[in-house]
Amino acid sequence: MNCVELQQSLAEVEDGGSSEQKAHLRTCPACSALLKELNLIVAAASQLQEANEPSPRVWNSIEFALRQEGLIRPPRAGRSLVPSFSTRWGAARWLVPAAAMLLLALGIYLRREALPDQVEHQARVAVAVGNPPDLDDADLMQEVADNDPAMKTQYAENLRQVNESIRDAQGLVDESPNDEDARRSLMDAYQQKSMLFKMAMDRSLP
Amino acid sequence: MTEPRQQQGSELSEAEAIERAKQGDAEAFRALYEKHKRRVYSLCLRMTANTAEAEDLAQEAFLQLYRKIATFRGESAFSTWLHRLSVNVVLMHLRKKSLPVVSLEETVQGTEEDSPKRDFGADDVALAGSIDRMQLQRAVESLPPGYRMIFVLHDIEGYEHNEIAKIAGCSIGNSKSQLHKARMKLRDLLKMNRAEKAGKSRAG
Repeated sequence: MNCVELQQSLAEVEDGGSSEQKAHLRTCPACSALLKELNLIVAAASQLQEANEPSPRVWNSIEFALRQEGLIRPPRAGRSLVPSFSTRWGAARWLVPAAAMLLLALGIYLRREALPDQVEHQARVAVAVGNPPDLDDADLMQEVADNDPAMKTQYAENLRQVNESIRDAQGLVDESPNDEDARRSLMDAYQQKSMLFKMAMDRSLP
Repeated sequence: MTEPRQQQGSELSEAEAIERAKQGDAEAFRALYEKHKRRVYSLCLRMTANTAEAEDLAQEAFLQLYRKIATFRGESAFSTWLHRLSVNVVLMHLRKKSLPVVSLEETVQGTEEDSPKRDFGADDVALAGSIDRMQLQRAVESLPPGYRMIFVLHDIEGYEHNEIAKIAGCSIGNSKSQLHKARMKLRDLLKMNRAEKAGKSRAG
C-alpha cells in the first residue's frame, strides 16, 4: 500500500486499523501524522454539539405561535401572569404604558376572582382600560421598520390579528360581563399583544 | 440515531415535562425548550452556516415537536425524536433552497474550487495539540454544503453512516467518502488558518 492508497482507504477504515494500513503507517511518518490530525479533528468535533445559544427571539416566537394555535392553555384562574413578562419591559419607552395597562387589567382580573359580587363593575373598568390604541401600535411598527424591515409585513399582520382578537374579546365582555371565558380571552389577547412587543424589542437588541 | 453522546439529564423531570406539555402547560414547553435548545440550534447553525436561518429552523423544529407531542409514546428517546425531526426540518429547508444535500460529483472527484489554496506553506504546519473550537466552527462553516452536512451528522451529532444514508438519500459508501473528504478539507482549512496566523505574527 502506498500513500495515495492509504488515504483512499481511510474513507472505509477510518482508524487505520486494517493490517495493510498498519503496515504502511509503521513506515510512513507523513501518513501517520495525517491520521493523527484527522483523529484530532474528530475529537474536537464533539465540542460543537451544543456550542451555540439561540437568541431570546426564538422562544418568544415559539411561545407566540403556541398561543396563537391554542397549544398552550390559558393560565388557571387566580394564577399570576406576571412571571411571564421579562424584566426588560421597563427598558423601552413604549413598553411602559403597555405594561401599566396589563398590570391594571391583571389586578382587576384577580380581584374579580376574589370578589365575584363586583363582576359587572370591574368588567366595565377592564373594558375601559383595555383600549388597543393605548399600546401605541405605530411605535411598534416604527421599531420593527428601523431594526428589522424584512419582518415588517409579518408584524403588521400579527398586530392586525391580535387587535382583532382584543376587539372580539372586548365585545364578548361587553355583552356578558359575568362570562369568565370572555374575560380570559381578553387577558389572553392582551398577553399575545405584549409578546408581540417583546419580540420586537428582542429583535432590536444588539 | 443510536444515542451517541447522549445527554445525561434527569429523565424523570423530562418525562414529567413531556406529560405536562401534552396537557398544554406553558412551563413544560419552556422546560423542554431550555433543555434542548442549544443542541437543536447548534445543529441548525452548523448545517446552514447562517444565524438567521438557524434561528428560524430551530423555531420550526420546536413548533413541529410541540404540535406532535401528544403522539409521543416514549418508544424512543425524546432527544432522538427531537433531533431527527430537527434534521428533517433542516434538510427540507436545504432542498427548498436547492442546495446540494449530497453531491455525487464530490465523492468521485473534488472540484477545483473545493480544494483549499495551499498558500502560506500550510503543508508545513502541523495540527498538534488541541483544536480551537472557534477555528473549527469557522472551518466547518467554510465547507461545501454536501460535505458539511455529512460531517455535522456523523462527527458532531453522532449518526452512523447507515442512518445518514437513509436521511440524506445516498449510499453508505457515498456517506463514508464525503465524510473523509470533509475531514481532509477541514484539516487543510485549519492548517491554512494556523499558517496565516504564524505568518502574521512573524510579520508583526
